[in-house]
Amino acid sequence: MASRKPGTSDHPKVHEAFRLMKSGRMDRREFIRVAALLGTSATAAYAIAGLPEPAFAASNLPFGPDDPKAKTGGILKIAMAVQKMEDPATYSWVEMSNQTRHTLEYLVMTGPDNVTRPMLAESWTAAEDLKTWTFSLRKGVMWHTGEELTADHIKWNVERWLDPKTASSNVGLSVFSAMVDTTDEKDAKGKPIKRMTKGAIEVIDKYTIRFHLNKPVLSAPEDCYNYPTAIAHPSFKPPLSDNMIGTGPFQLAEFRVGDRCILKRVTKMKDGKDFNYWGGKVYLDEIHYYNFEADNQLPAFASGDVDGVYQFTVEQMDLAKSLPGVIHVARTAQTIACRMQVDQKPFSDKRIRQAVCMSVDNEKVKKLVYGDAGDVGQNHHVAPVHPDFQALAPLKRDTAKAKQLLKEAGAENLEITIDVGNTDGPWHQTVAEAMRDQMKEAGITLKINVMPAAKYWEVWTKTPFGITAWTHRPLGTMAMSLAYRTGVAWNETHYANPEFDKALDAAEATLDVNERKPKLAKAAQILQDDCIMIMPLFRPIYTIVTKNVQGYEGHPTQYHQFNKVWKA
Amino acid sequence: MLKLIGNRLLQMLLIMAVVSLVIFAIFDSDRFKRQIAVSELGGFAVETLSDQDYQAWLDRKGLNVPFYERYLKWVSGVVTGDLGRSFEKDEPVSRLLRDRLINTGVLAFWVFALMVPISLTLGIIAGMKEGAFRDRAVSFIAVLTTSMPEIATAIILTVIFALGLQWVPANSAMVNGWDWRQLALPVGTLVLYDFGYVTRMTRASMAEVMTSQYIRTAVLKGLPHRRVILRHALRNALIAPFTIIALQLNWILSGVVVVEVFFEYAGFGKMLLDAALFGDVYVIQAATLVAVFVAVVSQIISDVGYTFLNPRIRFS
Amino acid sequence: MASVEALAPPSSTAPVASQAPLSLLKRLQRPRVTLSLLLLMWVPLTASVMFGGYVGEAFRTWVMLPAIPATVALYVIAVASWRESTIAMVGVSLVFFWLFIAVAVPFLPLIDPNKPLAPFAGIGVERSGHLFLLGADLKGRDMLSRVLWGCQRVLVWGVTATLVAYIVGSMLGLMAGYLAKWWDQAISFIANVLLSFPVMVLFILILNYLGASGFNIVIAVTFASAPAIMRIVRGLTLDTKTRDYIFAAQTRGEHPLRIMIFELLPNARGPIIVDACLRLGYTTVAITTLTFLGLGLQPPDPDWGLMIKEAAKVAMLWKFAYMLLIPALSVSSLILGFNLMADGLREMSLRD
Repeated sequence: MASRKPGTSDHPKVHEAFRLMKSGRMDRREFIRVAALLGTSATAAYAIAGLPEPAFAASNLPFGPDDPKAKTGGILKIAMAVQKMEDPATYSWVEMSNQTRHTLEYLVMTGPDNVTRPMLAESWTAAEDLKTWTFSLRKGVMWHTGEELTADHIKWNVERWLDPKTASSNVGLSVFSAMVDTTDEKDAKGKPIKRMTKGAIEVIDKYTIRFHLNKPVLSAPEDCYNYPTAIAHPSFKPPLSDNMIGTGPFQLAEFRVGDRCILKRVTKMKDGKDFNYWGGKVYLDEIHYYNFEADNQLPAFASGDVDGVYQFTVEQMDLAKSLPGVIHVARTAQTIACRMQVDQKPFSDKRIRQAVCMSVDNEKVKKLVYGDAGDVGQNHHVAPVHPDFQALAPLKRDTAKAKQLLKEAGAENLEITIDVGNTDGPWHQTVAEAMRDQMKEAGITLKINVMPAAKYWEVWTKTPFGITAWTHRPLGTMAMSLAYRTGVAWNETHYANPEFDKALDAAEATLDVNERKPKLAKAAQILQDDCIMIMPLFRPIYTIVTKNVQGYEGHPTQYHQFNKVWKA
Repeated sequence: MLKLIGNRLLQMLLIMAVVSLVIFAIFDSDRFKRQIAVSELGGFAVETLSDQDYQAWLDRKGLNVPFYERYLKWVSGVVTGDLGRSFEKDEPVSRLLRDRLINTGVLAFWVFALMVPISLTLGIIAGMKEGAFRDRAVSFIAVLTTSMPEIATAIILTVIFALGLQWVPANSAMVNGWDWRQLALPVGTLVLYDFGYVTRMTRASMAEVMTSQYIRTAVLKGLPHRRVILRHALRNALIAPFTIIALQLNWILSGVVVVEVFFEYAGFGKMLLDAALFGDVYVIQAATLVAVFVAVVSQIISDVGYTFLNPRIRFS
Repeated sequence: MASVEALAPPSSTAPVASQAPLSLLKRLQRPRVTLSLLLLMWVPLTASVMFGGYVGEAFRTWVMLPAIPATVALYVIAVASWRESTIAMVGVSLVFFWLFIAVAVPFLPLIDPNKPLAPFAGIGVERSGHLFLLGADLKGRDMLSRVLWGCQRVLVWGVTATLVAYIVGSMLGLMAGYLAKWWDQAISFIANVLLSFPVMVLFILILNYLGASGFNIVIAVTFASAPAIMRIVRGLTLDTKTRDYIFAAQTRGEHPLRIMIFELLPNARGPIIVDACLRLGYTTVAITTLTFLGLGLQPPDPDWGLMIKEAAKVAMLWKFAYMLLIPALSVSSLILGFNLMADGLREMSLRD
C-alpha cells in the first residue's frame, strides 16, 4: 500500500506524528487518531498511514458506507430507560442523550473505533500552539424549521454552555474550561463565578467559527462529542421534549417519561419544503424506545417485544447466548474502583493498603466475572483501550508478603468492611465476593455490606472502603485528573500526593500522545505504588440485536448512532 | 343505615388526613430529597453540585419550601383535583394515576369475572354434600392454591404456559399496543391465588345452610333436590360469600403489586412500588388515598350488603 | 405460654394413665418439658441466623447440635397429640421437615451455598468436580445447598415476626378490652387506620422508610398483623371479662395485668392457635414477596425470595426454569404445611 505524505494543509503536529510513525515510535492507528483530531480528513489520515480505510464513504461523512443491500423502511425497537429531556446542556445520563441524538446533532462524531470524524463541522484546523481552533461548518445543513445552520447558531449554543446560569457540566471539559475566566464576582457562598472570556468565540463568516483558548488543548474536537454538547436551535427553551428542533434525520413523534419515546423520520420541514438530510441516506422509518429498567431489558428482548437492548449484564450472558440474536461486545474503559480512603483507619497505614492490594489476583477476578472479555486492571485508572496507555510491570499476588506486612503493621487477622451498592449491576458484588475469598488466604476478613444503589450514592465519598463505578472517558488522563488530583470534587480517596499531581500535570501538558505515554505511566506508577485502590478490570459492554438488524455496532460509551442501521 | 355509612365515610376522611400528614412528614426529610436528586442527576453530578446549586435545584423542584406550606398547598390542590406532579415520570399525578388505575381496573375486572363464578360454583358443589369426594377434592385444590404465594403461582404459570408451551407471552408490558394475550398470565395468577379462599368460605356457608332445619324439612317433604338447592339454599348460602367478595376488592390492590412487577404490567401496583423506591412523594400520597378509599368503601359495601341481604337482620 | 397447653389436649386419647409409670411420651407432653424443648430448638436456630455474622462459623455449627434431637422430640410429640387428624399430621410433617432441615443443615454434606462454581449448570450436571443434583444458579452456586440453607432465614424471621406481632397485638387487645373506655377508643382508632391500608402498601411504605432487613420486616409485619390480632383478642376479652372467675380474681385484688395474662389469655388459646398457624403462612408469603421486590432480606446469604429475585432476570427460558421453580415450590410446601396444620387443628377443635 503506497502511503502518501502529509501536505501543507495538515497541521505541523501531524507532520511530527508522521515522522514518529515512520521511525516506528508511533503505531499507525495512533497516527490516524492524532491526525484526525488535528483536522486531517479520515480518508487522508488512513491513506497517509498506509492502512485501508474501514470502508468509509469518501464524502467525509461520519456514518459509514451505504450498504447496497439495505432496505429502506422499518421500525427499530430498543429497550432502554426512557428519561425526561429537559435541557441537553445539563443532561446527566446517556439514555436521555440517545433519545435526542438523532434529532440534535454535534459538531463532530467519535465512532466506536475512537476516531473523531466531521459531523456538523466539515473540517477544523488548529494553530500551532493549540490555543486557537477554527471549525468550518458544512454548507446546506438544514434545521427542521427550514433555515440553514450557520456559525451564529453554534456561537449561541457555546455561549449558553459557558453561562453559569445554565449550570452545564460542559464547562468542565478541557476546551470549554479554557474559554472561561474567574471573575471578581462571588456567588452566595463566596465562591468566585466563572464567565466566558470576552472574545473567546469569534464568528469569522457564515460558516466559520473560531475559538480562542487561554491554554493549549489537544482534545477540542473530542470534547465536542460529549453527550451534553448537542447543538440546539436558538429558539430552544427547556423542556426540550416540548419542542425538539434539530438538524438530524428524526423528530420526536410521541414521548412519555418512563414509558416510550417514538422518533419518526423527517420528510418535510416546517415551511412545507422537502427535508434533505445532509448526512446521506437513512434507512429506518422510525426508532422506538420502550422503557425497561436495566435488568428487564434482556427478558423483554427474549419475549420478542423489542429488536435490541441498551445493554445487558454479564450475569445474563447465558440467557443471551440461548436467544436468537447477535451479541455485540464493546471494549471500554468502564470500571470499578474498590477504593480505600487514605486518611481513615486502618487504611491510613500504607502497609495495610499494600497488603490488601497484594492479596488479590486481579486477573483471576476478571476471569471470574467476565471470562475472556474485558481487560485486566492494574490498580490505576488508565485502560488498554486508552490511546495513552502504557503497561506497567505486571502485579503479582503475594499472600505471604501480605501477611508479613500486616504483621509489621500490627494488624494480623485484619477485619475490614466494604460497601457495595451494585450501582451498575450485581457484578460489583461478585467482585467483592471474589476478593473476600482471596483475601482470606492472607488472613484478611472482608465483610461485604450490600446496600441499595441509591443508598450507596449517599455514602460514596464518605465510606472508608467502597466500590464506585467510573464510566468510560476517551483519554487516560481524564479520569486520573477527575479522581486523584489533590482536592478535586470527585477525589473520593482523599489522595493528596504532590508528586502525583506534578507527574499528571506533565502528562496533560504533553500534546504528543507518544511522549505522553511514558509520562502518564509515571503518574500511574505512583498511584499504583501508593496502593489506594484495587481496580481489577475494565468491563466490556454487551448489547444484543435480532438477526435482521443490520449495520449495528456497540459503542464504548453506549451512544446510539443508527443512521446506517436497517432491518432486513 | 345511612347514618352508619355517613359515619364510616367521615372516619375515612379522618384517616386519610392523618395518613397523608404522616407520609408527607416522612418523605420531607433531607434524605429523600437527596435520593430524588441522585435519581435525577446521577451520583457524580450531585457530588459536584455546590451547596448553592443544590438549593437552586431544590427550589426549581419546589422542594425547598417549609413542610407545612407544601402540605397545605397539596391539600388545597387535592380539593381541586390537582394531585401534584411526579418527580420520576414528570407528568401530572392525576393523569398517571388515572391511566394506571384503568389498567389495574381491567385486570381486576377480569379477575373478578373469572374468580366469582368459579369459586361460587365450586364452593356450592363442594358444600352440597359435605364430606363427599368432590368436597374433599375441591377443598384440597383450594388449600393447595392458597398455599402458593402469588410469586410462586406466577412462576409456575410462566414456566408452563409461556416458556414451555409458548401459548402466551412471558411479559405484559404491552409495548406494541393493547394485547389480550398478555393479560392471560397476570389474570391467571390472581385468580388462582384468590379463588381458594372464596371457595372455602362459600363451601362452609353452603354446608351450614344445608344442615339447617328448613332445608332438611324441604328435603324430607319430598321437594326435588335441585329445586331445594336453587330456590332455598343458595339464597342464604350466598350471603356470606358476597361479603367476602366485596372485601376482595381491597385485597386485589395489595396482591396486584407483585404480579404487576413480575409481569411488567403498567398498573397501579407497579406505580406504587416505583414511586416508593424513588421517593416520589406526591404519587405515593395519591396512591395511598386511593388505597384507603377502596379499603373503606369495600368494607362498607360488605357490611351494608350483609345487613341488607340477611333477612334476619333486615327484618329485626 | 398458652400455646403449649394445646399440644396436650385435655381430653387426650393417649393411653390411660392407669399404666404406671408415666410413659416417656406423656412425660414429654408436659407443658414445661415441651416448652424447654421448643426453646432448645428455637434459640440456637434464631441466634445462628440473626447473629451468626458476629460469631465464628465453628461456634455457629456447634451451637445447633442440641437443637436436632429437640426437633425430633417435638415432632414425635406433635404427631402423638394430633393423631386424630390426618390433615394436621401431614401439615405438621411438612413444617417439621423444613424445621429439621433448618437445624440440621450445618451438618449435612453440602457444599458452601455461596461458592460460585459453574454458572447455569443444569440439573444432574457434573462440573468442576461437583455433581449438581438440582443444578447451579446464575452464579454457579449449588441449588440444592442454597435451597436447604435458605429455609433457615425464612423460618426464623417469619416466626419471629409473627411472634412479636402476637405479643404486641395481644397486649393491645387485652388493654383495649379490659381497661378504661378511652384506651379502647384510642387503640381501636389506630388499628382502624392501619387496617385501612392494603397490606402491601403498608409494607412498602414502612420498609422503604426503615430500610430493608430482617429486623425491619419484623417491625413491618407487626404493624400489619397486630391490629387484626388486637381485634380478636379484644373481642375475646370483652366476651370473657364479665365471667365469674374474673370477678373473683378482681375481688381477690389481683393486679389487672396478672388477670389479663393468666386468666383471660388462656381462654383465648383455641382460636389463637389456629390463627397463629394461618398467620405464619401469611408472614412467610409476605417475607418471600417483599424479598422478591427488593424490600426484604438482603444478599448474599441464601434465601428463597432472593433466589427467585436473582433468577427472574436471567432465567426466562425453559431450560433454566428450574432456578425459579425450585425455590417457588419449596416456599409453597412450607406454607402448605402451615395451612394444613391450621385446618387440622380447627377440625379437631370443632369435634371436641
